[in-house]
Amino acid sequence: MEVMRLPISVSQRKKLVSAGYTSLSALSSASPSDLARDLEISEVAAHEILKVASHGSRLDKSDGNKAILTGAQNAWDMYKEDLHTRITTSCTDLDNILGGGISCKEVTEIGGVPGIGKTQLGIQLAVNVQIPVQYGGLEGKAVYIDTEGSFMVERALQIAEGCVEDMMENNNIRPRDLQVIQDKLQPKSLLANIFYFRICSYTEQIGVVNYLEKFVSEHKDVKIVVIDSITFHFRQDFEDLALRTRVLGGIALKLMKLAHNFNLAVVLLNQVTTKYAEGSYQLTLALGDTWAHASTNRVILYWNGNERYAYIDKSPSLPSASAPYSVTVKGIRNSASNCKRIKLM
Amino acid sequence: MAPLKSLERDYPIIDSEFQHFCAFHGIFTVEDFLIHDLNALVMFVWKQPNSERLKQGIDQICFLLESMHRPWLNGVALLKDAQQNKQNKHVFSIGNEGIDSFLHDGLREGRVIELVGPSSSGKTQVCLRAAASVAKLCEGGVVFLDTGNSFSVHRIACFVSQNSNSTSIEGSHETFEKVMSNISCCRVYDIFGLLDVLHQLECKLKCEMQAGDHLVRLLIIDSLSSLITPILGGGGPNGHALMISAGFLLKKLAHEYSLCVLVTNHMVGGEGGLPKPALGESWKGVPHVRLLLSRDHRASNGYSFSMLKY
Repeated sequence: MEVMRLPISVSQRKKLVSAGYTSLSALSSASPSDLARDLEISEVAAHEILKVASHGSRLDKSDGNKAILTGAQNAWDMYKEDLHTRITTSCTDLDNILGGGISCKEVTEIGGVPGIGKTQLGIQLAVNVQIPVQYGGLEGKAVYIDTEGSFMVERALQIAEGCVEDMMENNNIRPRDLQVIQDKLQPKSLLANIFYFRICSYTEQIGVVNYLEKFVSEHKDVKIVVIDSITFHFRQDFEDLALRTRVLGGIALKLMKLAHNFNLAVVLLNQVTTKYAEGSYQLTLALGDTWAHASTNRVILYWNGNERYAYIDKSPSLPSASAPYSVTVKGIRNSASNCKRIKLM
Repeated sequence: MAPLKSLERDYPIIDSEFQHFCAFHGIFTVEDFLIHDLNALVMFVWKQPNSERLKQGIDQICFLLESMHRPWLNGVALLKDAQQNKQNKHVFSIGNEGIDSFLHDGLREGRVIELVGPSSSGKTQVCLRAAASVAKLCEGGVVFLDTGNSFSVHRIACFVSQNSNSTSIEGSHETFEKVMSNISCCRVYDIFGLLDVLHQLECKLKCEMQAGDHLVRLLIIDSLSSLITPILGGGGPNGHALMISAGFLLKKLAHEYSLCVLVTNHMVGGEGGLPKPALGESWKGVPHVRLLLSRDHRASNGYSFSMLKY
């Protein structure tokens, strides 16, 4: 039944089928007043249904286009474009295993035990996205969605100051450029470009993800969305696990669409749990098996002796590797140990 | 089904007299016509003054209905068809000899093949490899429907430029461009978008078949389960219905247009803690072949395949 593929509500679909409208051609020959009378709905609602149906049937007519599908892109065109911009994490080892940094147009999930530095990494990325283009950044703004309350403004200020200091040091900025940049790169103005949302329940979380599309289309220079953490409200007191899977699946798809359509990076911070596999308890990211497939890339942060390490668990184009990093006063930086070799798994 | 009066425009024999006659017997739509006893209706027709016209109207509707359903085939015709097609039906290499021999020489036309596996077991990599292999070796078009932004152009470029044994640089650049242009990627983020794209593809393929070309060879959906998980379960059978209609549409595309369809699925926890493929029992019957991928943690970079259904 062709009516099945129209994105309308279940009750409207039931009414359509019981009134005898089961194909798109039947709908195309009906007028809004007839439809409203047959379905016992308002004329406005009937008009909406007809609009959706005509859109569906318009897609069906082939227009002799050379492309196989409207909206599809050729791999050759994509290869030539190569617009995958990346956001640096300020730690060169970590950037190397990530192929240059967190990439835009993809959803990256980062998870680890408490205290490993997830929030620090989130804040660092929210600051680094604002680095001007000539110094290797994206000069964009950041959206920070805080569900746990772990975002501390004082720490963000510290990280912003550290970022500005390093930028001036590494790039040998000339005195006259310094004045121009100084105004743009005051740590306070870096903070002003981070849009902060505080979320207190899972319904608010769903709401903010739905609202993000409108928000980002109004603020076109948002280049990164950090959700810290995506797990918090879904872990405690959530009785219906099947509902949780469905809701998380829906959120994942919306974030994917957002990342692709607006060319921004989405970073999700996750917690860990234990899983019984192959006879022993292993540490895995929370929210279950279905959620494991929801992100494009997965990075797991873990302790190795006294050092913090990051490991690429899942990626479509990067090999599995791990790299050390450290959390300093200035933010995330290279690990200070002597052994700087990247361990390839 | 459409009400009878909408047929009046194209088939003037079904005029208001005929509709009046049918309404007298409680027939308002084509559906009512189908469930009515036609012999009894014809008996009534002969009693009417304008019986010839009414009989013609009934014959017209019957003719329309005949032309809409698929023709019956008998066993002999099917066997002849299968023997003829054995020469014509192509088998595409998936790009890896081990997997090819596992699948009896590779991806067969007209089949829906499902790759199941836990996270990071290599499903997307197999899909990308298959896309590169079909585009390069069989010079067929590949349509990649991506739901998780995991279509990596660089990885495809890597696979395509591997083993290219062309001597001149310009020649290899041209073939590279040609092969890459054979692969189209479309992003879909919800089930209705997927159904729209599949219907669009069907129309396009119908036109191409009439024109005699056979452009698209492989359809990859990575991953189908992430589109269906948000709607499956909960209140009502709506999600199930959408899942099964998507599955049947894929089978129809594979069979009628000689495509090979590759879909990926993920795993969920089953009884006793053992993981099982997602999407439930009703989905089990939809793909023709199901392959289970898993990562071998003991050997570094080891992955293994096993066959769940053939």
